[in-house]
Amino acid sequence: MSAAAAFVVWAGAAAIVLADGRRSLALGLGLIAVGLGAVTWTVAGWPAALLLLIGGGVAAARRLRSGPPGWMFMPPGSTPRLILSIFGGLVALWIAVVVAGGGSAETRYAALVVIGMMVARILLGRDPAMVFTAATAVALAVAAAASLSPADPGLAPYAIAALVAAGTAFLPAASPRAA
Amino acid sequence: MQPELAVGLPAAGAAATVMLRPRPRVALAAGLGLGAAGLAAIVLNDERASNLVGVSLSISPFSRALLIAAAASLAVMVMFAPARTERSVLLAWGLAAIAGMAAVAAAPSLDVVVEIVLAMAILQAATEGKRPIATRLRAPALAAALLAVTLLLARAEGPALLSRFVAVGLVAGLVAAVGLLPYIHEFDPEEATWASPISWIGFAGPVLAVAILARAGDLVQSAGGVLGALLIGIGLVNVVWGTLASWRTASGASAWHYSFMADWGLVLCGLGVPIVEGRSAAVLVFFGLLLGRLPLYIWSRQALRERVQTDHPVNLLVAAMLAGAAPFAGFAARVLLLRSATELFWPLALVLAVTLLFWLPSSLRLGRSLGLPKGRQLAGVSITLAINVAIGLYPEPVLRLAGL
Repeated sequence: MSAAAAFVVWAGAAAIVLADGRRSLALGLGLIAVGLGAVTWTVAGWPAALLLLIGGGVAAARRLRSGPPGWMFMPPGSTPRLILSIFGGLVALWIAVVVAGGGSAETRYAALVVIGMMVARILLGRDPAMVFTAATAVALAVAAAASLSPADPGLAPYAIAALVAAGTAFLPAASPRAA
Repeated sequence: MQPELAVGLPAAGAAATVMLRPRPRVALAAGLGLGAAGLAAIVLNDERASNLVGVSLSISPFSRALLIAAAASLAVMVMFAPARTERSVLLAWGLAAIAGMAAVAAAPSLDVVVEIVLAMAILQAATEGKRPIATRLRAPALAAALLAVTLLLARAEGPALLSRFVAVGLVAGLVAAVGLLPYIHEFDPEEATWASPISWIGFAGPVLAVAILARAGDLVQSAGGVLGALLIGIGLVNVVWGTLASWRTASGASAWHYSFMADWGLVLCGLGVPIVEGRSAAVLVFFGLLLGRLPLYIWSRQALRERVQTDHPVNLLVAAMLAGAAPFAGFAARVLLLRSATELFWPLALVLAVTLLFWLPSSLRLGRSLGLPKGRQLAGVSITLAINVAIGLYPEPVLRLAGL
């Protein structure tokens, strides 16, 4: 189940990398929330997973209402993004399984692939909806990574990630203006 | 209960100030009242952990000292704000930042610190500013990602080399969050201070750096030397780059931005030296940054816009303070830093001593760019100079406050 959930997380991250429309961004965020929730459940239990699912779910639902309309999946000039989504997944897999050993490789992979691909998206992107979606996904992934902590992190990282995800969805994106 | 109040009261103050913005005086009074209560909670905080909200929170003496300095800096900036600055907005953003900084200082783990940094970056990116949202979010998001990946690597089993990568990741994340070389945040001179990179490098950065490095010990047990060497190396590069760029850059506001980097270079060197005097030097530079350089930057913005440069005694005094001349706080910091570097590895002290000379031309330029302060600004500049002289002559209370 964890391996399948990690694949779902990669699919969600790829959807955000490959598309610009709000439906695609919402779908990607939803997949990431479901996948991260599932891998977190196996390590940290259902309350942590539920928090991630709620935060990600609210963010995905709100994303459906703002941002560029439609799917805009793989618009012209998307070849570099396609390469990023495939190689990003492979590099994360190599690091999570080969370079870094130990248990919970699925959680490690899921967190790594989201953080890596979303930061690449933030560095390359310009649209506020996309940037905030990627930042929300990073917040959820950081919380999922906290489940690997040797000391019990409690529910704080998951609760804060859920708040950040849900809160970001309600933020008005101010456009740049002259001073 | 103090850590919760230290976070909650400034946050409530920021919210109240924003909601009451149509009535500026009421907004200012509400913000100042709640901010003062938050400051009292920080001052009265002891090191004991509090568990009121189900999370164990505690603020270290080092972080507490920096929070107090940040709150004092905000009070000075708001009370003596330039005429064109909307004081309630400055206060609201300052209180929001202090709430975030207190949360960072009290966070139970580095994971929570990363989440809070991300929240602060998103909130700042959503405000009105001159730079695009993506540009404003880029560096802090990269910092959060670097720190998160570092945590993942630190918790994995792997080759010994992995712990060195953890040290590199921690320093890279810290430098990216603050906005130092090689991750300098894009700077727009016309942007409001609270939306600009100055809010990271000049206000939130000190507490964040202490929070990250205080938790680094557990993560890099076998690579502590690598961490220290990286801090010193990056620090020296920033000292040289910051001072030279601050002297030679065409834009006056950018010169101020680079001067913050130079100060941070000294801080990184101090934090990299594994001797208590190094940390003492870092504390004093942080105090100089929060209670000297940041308010002076705010007051110089009007003169920078009007391209006014003056050579009055007050400009020379400000230049001396920024250059770390005696009897200001920067001088005591430099003496402590040189002493600790000599104890660690004397050629390092030699290199540091040479780089300290680079401060002179840039500080003279920055001092002139302040213009001739009058009225409220002159009072503010006088208070800033007096605080810096007091710390420079008798740094013991500040160091004791920081637990050193």
